[in-house]
Amino acid sequence: MDSFITVILLVSTLLLFRTKKTMDAVFIITIQSAGLAVIGFIMWYRTGLVHLLIGAVLTLVVKTFLIPYILYYTVRKTKEHRNIVRSMGQFPTMLIALLLTVLGQYVASHLMLPGAEHGMRYLSAAIGLVFLGTFTIINNKQVLMEGIGVIVIENGLFLITQSLSYGMPLAVELGIFFDLFVAVVIIASLTFKIHSVFHSLNTEKMQDLRG
Amino acid sequence: MLAIGLFVVTLLSGALGGLFSRHKFADFLQATGSFVSLLLAGWIAKIVIFDGNILIYSDHLIYIDALGAFNIMLIAMVGFVAAVYSVGYMRYEVAEGFITRVQLGRYYFFFHCFILSMLWVSSVDNLGMLWVGIELTTLISALLVSFYGTQHALEAAWKYLIMGVVGIGFALLGIVFLYMSGLNTMNPAAALQWSSLMVVADQLNPQWVEIGFIFILIGFGTKAGLAPMHFWLPDAHSQAPAPVSAVLSGVLLNTALYGIFRIFAIANLTLHGQAAKYLIGFGLFSIAVTVPFIMVQKDLKRMLAFSSVEHMGIITLAVGFGGPLGLYGAFLHMFNHSMTKSLLFFAAGDVAQKYHTKFMDRIFGVLKALPFTGIVMLIAAFGVAGAPPFSIFLSEFTIMLAGAASGNIFAAGIFALLIVLIFAGMSYYVLKMAFGKMPVRTVHQTDFWMKTAMSILLVFVIVGGLYVPDPLVYAIHAAVAIFQGGIK
Repeated sequence: MDSFITVILLVSTLLLFRTKKTMDAVFIITIQSAGLAVIGFIMWYRTGLVHLLIGAVLTLVVKTFLIPYILYYTVRKTKEHRNIVRSMGQFPTMLIALLLTVLGQYVASHLMLPGAEHGMRYLSAAIGLVFLGTFTIINNKQVLMEGIGVIVIENGLFLITQSLSYGMPLAVELGIFFDLFVAVVIIASLTFKIHSVFHSLNTEKMQDLRG
Repeated sequence: MLAIGLFVVTLLSGALGGLFSRHKFADFLQATGSFVSLLLAGWIAKIVIFDGNILIYSDHLIYIDALGAFNIMLIAMVGFVAAVYSVGYMRYEVAEGFITRVQLGRYYFFFHCFILSMLWVSSVDNLGMLWVGIELTTLISALLVSFYGTQHALEAAWKYLIMGVVGIGFALLGIVFLYMSGLNTMNPAAALQWSSLMVVADQLNPQWVEIGFIFILIGFGTKAGLAPMHFWLPDAHSQAPAPVSAVLSGVLLNTALYGIFRIFAIANLTLHGQAAKYLIGFGLFSIAVTVPFIMVQKDLKRMLAFSSVEHMGIITLAVGFGGPLGLYGAFLHMFNHSMTKSLLFFAAGDVAQKYHTKFMDRIFGVLKALPFTGIVMLIAAFGVAGAPPFSIFLSEFTIMLAGAASGNIFAAGIFALLIVLIFAGMSYYVLKMAFGKMPVRTVHQTDFWMKTAMSILLVFVIVGGLYVPDPLVYAIHAAVAIFQGGIK
């Protein structure tokens, strides 16, 4: 079960570097978040810690339904279905993404961490997600895709906290969820504004401020 | 209850200002609200700093010690003058038709929420909550940066948002590492609490603390504008409305530094003083990076933003020097920079508004066209550049001495050289703007609200240059004591 979910997380994220449609990227984010929710439930089942259950339910509600819906709505309203523009070509993009995934595995296998016996298996995927999310932001030239990169990073960080230390205390976890939700709302609202002012979501048009 | 009151009043100021924005009394309402916040902050400072208590509510969720109270006082102070200044500044924007009263309402609401998020950062014990607060400051201030909705404003806000959120993500990772470094020695509930970590700092796992501290330094350093993660900063600070720029430069950067310093205090104990070398490195580099940008700058507000990067570098450097003198200089500089830079942004905002440009080669004769603002601009600019007899000179001099005293003579020498170069660059541009023929326009009287805000800060800049008032000295010593591990 553990390896199955890890594979789903990594493969879905790698698809992020293949797709040409923003809508697909939103779908991938949904799958990824659903995977996180399942991991949360598994960790709760194994440890019996109630706050892991709350975390899992929140992941399901906020990350799997609310946030993808906001993104879906944004993509539909801005009619930016098919304009993922990358700095690098298809082949180098995929190559780097794969290398980063391997690097995630390598880093995870070298970390000797306390209190991680139940979550160790997810650590490689979690670190991979952080790397891949950063690469998404660097490699994409479209506003919404940068936003999606941010969400991938956040998902990775969330998975790291979940798997290493059985999550943060509940109050902190609630705060992090709240922040992520506000972040997505602001990303969506800025996307609308950018779309109405620039008539495009391409970040190449947004390079006027320098020096 | 006092802290809760402070939060509620700040939130109410924004909500009421936003709700009644169609009426002019909303302006007055939000300014009064932030004055009440200032009084409450003063009260907290009295209890915490001068009576020597620590405010703790609801099981350490809220925790205000002298370090936090010092920052709260600064935030409330700059927040108050910026709220007063906003009235004059924004009324002009409404009169010119750049914004509507409804937009102004939105501005008031987000402005006070922004202040609230910074107050929150300074009054928590849990490092996770501190992170949540700093992330919130980014999110809300990104909205304020994008306030005008122009191409440049949106570009700046977007860059700021992405850089900020990613950077702070790394800081969260750092906090997780720090959390784990303590899991072996303490129970999980306390392992994120600053006050408990500080007590067992020398028993933490040094490897994890060092990695955690580096992540946090990079993460919050992005937010504090430390080079080389600073490049979003000039964009955001120059595109925001002037009162927001003042708050961004004056206290938001401090708040991010506050996050770094809290963790530095732990890390330096665990690593037996080794963490300081990172601060010296980042500090010096941040000062050095700004020199060319200040020397060949065209945009007035960008120049001020780069100067903020410089001053954050100076504060970081001073904490890196350490020792009683270095830490005293750092906090004194924090205070002086907040006052002087806010003042300079206020003056620059008025100039840019009346000249309809931020480009320095199109601004001249400010002293004649805007007599009051012109004088303020001159004083504040020389103050920021570090000329005597203004307050920043005193703190920069203290920091230089601290560098020599701590044996970092080389670093102190480079520091002195760099600030001389920056002084030359800034004064050249400012003198060019201040003097010269008056442009073909009528003389503007500075608005009453703006004048009030600037006068308050002016007092601090001038008096602070002559001597450091006793209550401030006392407050700084109390903050430094907390910093060095003197938790009662």
